[in-house]
Amino acid sequence: MIRFGMLTRREVSRWVKIWKQTIGAPLLETFLYISVFGAALGSRVGDLDGVDYTVFVIPGLILMAWAINAFTNNSSSILQQKFQHSIDDQLSSPASPLQLLMALTLGGFLRGMTIAVITFLVASLLVDLPVEHWPVLVAGLFLVGFFFAQLGVLVGIRAEQFDDVSFAQTFILQPLIFLGGVFYSASLLPEPYQTLTHFNPVYYMISLVRYGFLGQADVNVALSLVLLTLATGALFLLNLRLFTTGYKLRA
Amino acid sequence: MPLAPNTPSPARPPRHSDGPALSVENLVKRYPTGTEALRGVSLEIKDGQFFGLLGPNGAGKSTLIHCATGLAVPTSGEIRIFGHNAVDDYAEARESIGLAPQDINLDWFATCEEVLDYHGGYFGMNKKDRKERVTELLDAFSLTGKRNESTRTLSGGMKRRLTLARALMHRPRLLILDEPTAGVDVELRLELWQYVKQVNAEGTTILLTTHYLEEAEELCDQIAFINDGQIVAEGTSEALARKFQVGSLEDAYLKLVGRNELSRAHVGGDAL
Repeated sequence: MIRFGMLTRREVSRWVKIWKQTIGAPLLETFLYISVFGAALGSRVGDLDGVDYTVFVIPGLILMAWAINAFTNNSSSILQQKFQHSIDDQLSSPASPLQLLMALTLGGFLRGMTIAVITFLVASLLVDLPVEHWPVLVAGLFLVGFFFAQLGVLVGIRAEQFDDVSFAQTFILQPLIFLGGVFYSASLLPEPYQTLTHFNPVYYMISLVRYGFLGQADVNVALSLVLLTLATGALFLLNLRLFTTGYKLRA
Repeated sequence: MPLAPNTPSPARPPRHSDGPALSVENLVKRYPTGTEALRGVSLEIKDGQFFGLLGPNGAGKSTLIHCATGLAVPTSGEIRIFGHNAVDDYAEARESIGLAPQDINLDWFATCEEVLDYHGGYFGMNKKDRKERVTELLDAFSLTGKRNESTRTLSGGMKRRLTLARALMHRPRLLILDEPTAGVDVELRLELWQYVKQVNAEGTTILLTTHYLEEAEELCDQIAFINDGQIVAEGTSEALARKFQVGSLEDAYLKLVGRNELSRAHVGGDAL
């Protein structure tokens, strides 16, 4: 337990020390989105699916903040440590592959959670933000956070240069999140975009979180939870396999 | 700045398994590129020895160390650390090893204190023990004044000292020093010699790789030559000189790498 605690402490301490970049900047970005899409454009849009537009976008923004920060933190942390070879201190310790994986996962998971919780608390002060289904919301957000934290670990392990990490974030992750329905309801889209959206896994994640907050869902909530759990579990097992074999970590 | 004479206490965890400090049998390491860095290495380092591993660049010294510490995965063969298999019983095996790597690999985001504290935690030391040990090591390596400073602000010599302190943090029974004095000034080199001699005298087994032959002669009671992924000779400094039918360890080494013409004996003779 000491070992796992210290591995996790190292990961958390890294982003706490550079909080302006790791917490401050994402929070500012999230509130700029709320200002622009909520306060400025929201008054023109009015209601969406019977909900005030500002309230409609907040669940997606909370999910986006958690997902992107969990991913970015872990992919960057692992790649930096690989470059510096400082990860060798952990790899040559008696820590097990599971302990290493979980600690590196938690670093980004907790950073994303911190930003998401602050966003939720401040947003609750600004608008009347309902939470209709706490268990679904908590389960959904935790699964999403864990999934993207695992994805960050995977990309960080595979990456050989910083370009690899930024490519994954800019060209894969962000388009999937933006096109998953953070700022709009997929039901408003014309065909074939509406159908195409159903092939985007993030669409189900956003729908799940929005259901937790607003009580509305375009998708089958139970099925989405099950599929998200399976996807997260599969990613976790893949990463554990990579840590056990030492893929791109041990020569 | 001289290293403080009060060296840290050598108290170690109890022995769980007997056997040589390091036992390597028929170790092969082939990289995915096809390069065979180790080609059937067998080696034994007895508990308490100060063992030198010498060889030219690319001979396989660091690869052997990486296989022993878990930074590389052996292709075949067996490594045991005090009787524990380095692959199957990696946790027990690694608990006994302290590694000071060739290249400085300190965490940029950590202070000197954190570097040692994290390392102690990775090796399961409790908070009280870590706190005492950190104070002891920072004092011993004249780094107390840098306790809360980021590793990025340290000079090269300080980074080297902190790397050695980190290797000693969990009181390893086998200390592996991979070219610890490469690029350090004479003063620090002599200080480090003094320090590692004392650590060895207190019972810690040491495996040293170096390109400085006088360093190996000064410190090591047993030396092995590794070349092209194989151990080609082993013995004391004098025994190796005898084996290669030359007058010094340096000449034995030059003969091994096929550069006898560089021998100082020859150069001196030619000059006369």
